[in-house]
Amino acid sequence: MAWLEKLLRSKAVVVTLIVLPGLWPAWPLLRHDPTVLADPLKYVLHHLGFVACLLLAIVLTFTPLRVLFPKWGIALALNRHRRLVGVSAFFYAALHFATHLLYEGGFRVLASDVTKPFLISGLLAFAILLVLAVTSLHAALRWLGGKRWKNLHRLVYLAAALAAYHQIYAQKLFPMQVVWIFGPVIVLEILRILRQRRPKLTAAATG
Amino acid sequence: MFILSKKDWELPESAVTPEKLYRTHNRRDFLKTLGTGVAAAALLPRGLRAATGGFPAKENPAYPLSALKPTAYEFITSYNNFYEFGMEKSDPKEYANKGWKTEPWTIEVKGLVRNPAKFDVNDLITKAGGLEQRVYRHRCVEAWSMVVPWDGFPLAKLVALADPKPEAKYLQFKSFVDRKAAIGQRQGNLDYPYVEGLRLDEATNELAFMATGIYGKPIPNQNGAPLRLVTPWKYGFKGIKSIVQIEFTSRMPENTWAVMNGQEYGFYANVNPHVDHPRWSQASERVIGAGVFGGRQPTLMFNGYEKQVGALYKGLDLVRNY
Repeated sequence: MAWLEKLLRSKAVVVTLIVLPGLWPAWPLLRHDPTVLADPLKYVLHHLGFVACLLLAIVLTFTPLRVLFPKWGIALALNRHRRLVGVSAFFYAALHFATHLLYEGGFRVLASDVTKPFLISGLLAFAILLVLAVTSLHAALRWLGGKRWKNLHRLVYLAAALAAYHQIYAQKLFPMQVVWIFGPVIVLEILRILRQRRPKLTAAATG
Repeated sequence: MFILSKKDWELPESAVTPEKLYRTHNRRDFLKTLGTGVAAAALLPRGLRAATGGFPAKENPAYPLSALKPTAYEFITSYNNFYEFGMEKSDPKEYANKGWKTEPWTIEVKGLVRNPAKFDVNDLITKAGGLEQRVYRHRCVEAWSMVVPWDGFPLAKLVALADPKPEAKYLQFKSFVDRKAAIGQRQGNLDYPYVEGLRLDEATNELAFMATGIYGKPIPNQNGAPLRLVTPWKYGFKGIKSIVQIEFTSRMPENTWAVMNGQEYGFYANVNPHVDHPRWSQASERVIGAGVFGGRQPTLMFNGYEKQVGALYKGLDLVRNY
């Protein structure tokens, strides 16, 4: 696994892994898949939203993995790219939002969007990711101070919850896909919280 | 009901695109020579055979190809909602053509009628007076639309054959159950069989249509072979596919989507640009096949068929009865 760890430490490799799913829609379009060509923009819209959710879920696994497996090289390698992956999630969300505007025929659709929980949840998640992306710069960290910055960036969990809601309600029936994407995050977060609680509990007991 | 209404083919000049009119007529002539009954079925790829009776269909001049720009056959038959065969738009084309048999096919008519009967689909076509072609707009509740040249017969003809008793007020349509052939039914993504319903006066409206073909060919499995309902003033999910039973009832029947998700889907499902879906606006629609920059077109009240069906809903609260 040392080779995988080495690969994942490389920024170029991670950037490639992030960019490739964005190019994926070109494949059915070039193949002239009639189902995709029937409404190509809808396909692109859904695909970009899916990648945004996936990257958001992936980046949220990094910290719990490091806490749970502090000596696992791959977890450490992944944690080098937290900002990159997080900003990429925002980037895909921005492309998804832009596609939504194009699909719906311009900004005036926002007036109708804000009356519908399904669309409000997506807009809010996007707004949070926008703030987090802007404040991901070192200058913002210095300006805010570590503690405030950290509290602000905890909003990512709210963004993830909103994104999951948005993804569930993008379908007429509950899509199992959401469970595969966000389920692991929830499991890892619970394990991480349990792990981080334990020392405190023992300290309280002995103290 | 004898209401003299202005016919739908009296369209404004703006609805006609001369160049497209030219093209579709060429296509139609081509299909005419190709689409002659059994000979056409023999030319079709395996899996595309359904009810083969009655072709070629005669064009109904009230709903001609020249009035609307039909969506390409390729899109109509590749972009389908038919959850029996999976939830992706590409699934029905793939999974409905893997050994699912749609011929022979029997349709049972029962309930509050004087002539309950079981029909072979081809016999039913003959008894209903053969096939006609009608070009209808098709508006999905998901805010996309097509224009489809259907072949079939008016539902009113089937109702007349059944001869409903005075207490019959509704029709319930039932689709097939075949867990072996239908992957979606094995997955249990919806409660099956898929059921739909119409009021009797909706069913006898001139627009209500039983389709057995598209573009002059037997209807492909993914579009609901061998026989499906087409109600062009309603959202597409009302158009139940692959019908095996029609029951005349006195009470409003259940319909699958209203049962599965009643907040979003109701019994009437009339196309209405003024009543939004809980998750999106219904004021406009994407046109299938128009491409990335195809934009949207405004959705018309009753999908442009207000003249034919508007009178059916006089006094009905269309916001509550969505």
